[in-house]
Amino acid sequence: MTRRHPAVLVLVVALAAAGCGKGQSSDAGSPTGDTLKIGAALSLTGSLAKEGQLTKQGYQLCEEIVNSKGGVSAGGKSYKLAIAYRDDTSEPDTAAQLVDRFNDQAIKLVLGPYGSPSTEAAAAVVEKNGQVMVDSSGADNNIFTKGYRQTFAVLSPATSYAKVMIQALASQAKPKPRTVVFLSADDGFSKTVAKGGAEEAHKQGIKVLATETFPEKSTDVSAAVNKAKSLNPDLVVGAVHLVEGIAIIKQSKELGLKPAGGFAETVAPPTPDFVRTLGASAEGVVGSTQWVPQVTGEDKFFGTAQEYASSFKKRFGSDAEYHSAEAAAACLALVLGTENAGSTEPAKVRDAIARLDSPSFFGPIKFDSTGKNVTKQMSVIQIQDGKPVTVFPTDQQQSALKWPAQ
Amino acid sequence: MTQFIQATVYGLLQGGLFALVAVGFSLVWGVMNIVNLAHGAFVLVGAYIAWKLNTAAGIDPFLGMFAAAACLFVGGYVIQRLLINLVVNAPIWMTLLLTFGLELMLVNGLIALFTGDFRSINTSYANDAFSIADIRVPYGRLFGFALAVALTLALVAFMSHTRLGLAIKATGMDRAAARLMGIPARHIYALTFAIAAALAAAAGAILGTIGTFSPADAGRLTLQSFVIAVLGGLGNMWGALAGGVVLGLAEAWGGQYLSGTLVNAIAFGVLVVVLIVRPAGLLGKPYYELRVDG
Repeated sequence: MTRRHPAVLVLVVALAAAGCGKGQSSDAGSPTGDTLKIGAALSLTGSLAKEGQLTKQGYQLCEEIVNSKGGVSAGGKSYKLAIAYRDDTSEPDTAAQLVDRFNDQAIKLVLGPYGSPSTEAAAAVVEKNGQVMVDSSGADNNIFTKGYRQTFAVLSPATSYAKVMIQALASQAKPKPRTVVFLSADDGFSKTVAKGGAEEAHKQGIKVLATETFPEKSTDVSAAVNKAKSLNPDLVVGAVHLVEGIAIIKQSKELGLKPAGGFAETVAPPTPDFVRTLGASAEGVVGSTQWVPQVTGEDKFFGTAQEYASSFKKRFGSDAEYHSAEAAAACLALVLGTENAGSTEPAKVRDAIARLDSPSFFGPIKFDSTGKNVTKQMSVIQIQDGKPVTVFPTDQQQSALKWPAQ
Repeated sequence: MTQFIQATVYGLLQGGLFALVAVGFSLVWGVMNIVNLAHGAFVLVGAYIAWKLNTAAGIDPFLGMFAAAACLFVGGYVIQRLLINLVVNAPIWMTLLLTFGLELMLVNGLIALFTGDFRSINTSYANDAFSIADIRVPYGRLFGFALAVALTLALVAFMSHTRLGLAIKATGMDRAAARLMGIPARHIYALTFAIAAALAAAAGAILGTIGTFSPADAGRLTLQSFVIAVLGGLGNMWGALAGGVVLGLAEAWGGQYLSGTLVNAIAFGVLVVVLIVRPAGLLGKPYYELRVDG
């Protein structure tokens, strides 16, 4: 058959090549006495590939900068940082398996995968194996209600995402919104975001008219938008990821949902794709973010947030954004923890991370008893003239909030 | 009441889009008995062609659509002639494997060429809408719906009134007999596949203008086409339109009156009910009975 049809052979070779191209990326080489090996299972392919790549860039930058500044010094020895990456194909189960495999290879220190579901799955394995994980992107509060001792998150928890936008609008929007509708994806993270936002709205005297949900990753949110339109709210808050966030703005335009104040959305607005795909419709949308280059604080590896941003730009050619900053900060926490512990032994590193209280380019890093970084505050941006500018908190403000937004 | 009408109108238009995406998939399955798992990837290739033409040369996506369709027509013909023809007689899992491999290659090729970023073809008007008594009708979706109906009508006319169409139909019913009548089955199959790929590309251009797309959407689009093809019934050119509209309305009404989270459950619930009542799909029966396998 192959003789008659060379195309089959071509296909087989091409398929094999495609298969090889996936997954197995750079291995960190064999462990030597002076190498600190760290494992990272990441969404390098699959639906979260984009975010997974950004996270990897943060880890890479951390590895390179730490090594260029003499590596990790612990117990009088200097260790070269070597991060081993594995592709979890955006599947939480795979992320958990890969973290378990790191344990089999005696890799006890782990950097988090991308997203709450994968982090939650990995955290259970980390706990069982006595590994130590610093989480860079799993913000769902559920990760921190299970009594885990071995997982620490550098980022603010899910409840902060909408809450900080409500705080910003309550203090800066004139006229202050009186009513709000939450449009939420139905995954754990987004629902926690919406709940945190609704609680803050109550506190700020903004009436929550409804919380409408739609399936996660949905590109059609028309039913929720249609229902919100009939309630005529001053403010629409989307507890969403990028796809649903874009769908809300597009379909609101189609269906004529025009809140008197404007739209606010989590996760989506700070990403470059948001403005690129929406064009002029993105104007005025408010968003929350874990990090902006205006954040105050510095550390010995990355320096200030501005310095981090310029190192990132120099290394990768693109502007620094929050996914990679979270990742670099998680790696930083692991490095600082190891240095403070004076040892690479997981139990000691764990205790040192739990005691960590350090400023950084990412803001303060200090964990509560459940492993959440509660001292750090999130920032609020607004799309103005096609670019996200920081509007809140006031000490980071680049430009005043425009309200009504459009 | 306004909300109900709005949901209905929107669901109907959404159904048109569904049908547009699924019509080529349904055609290939119905005629060639091939479940083309690369269909979603074809749709995306069409979307990227229209997007590239728009960003690089400023060509309106509703014109770029024709260029995308032409490219995929040629591409589809070649793929069928050189690759899929090899397994057209093989057990179904061989065709599944082959088209799945094709899908992987196309999707990874798109990621390599265009990255995994989300894209959308920006026009000044596609997300605008006109209102009739408070009911909003978005232009982009209306066009998509009209195109779905027009293409279905064209396909019906082509299949029943042209020699080529009849040849395609005949080959689908009984390949051996068709060959005995002097119909070049290979060419006919390649042509069918080419038409389906062109339809997919046109759908991609419209989809990319109304919503967003990224290479990761391929699987979702294929699954959606699969559901619509089964729902509408195979071998009837109206099947995809019927399946699409039923699914669109079910999702719109379900989302409006039940919890928004249940949308997918409702859609698959409708599929199950339809298959219980009419196992060959809504419009599938008359044609499938005629098929002679082998």
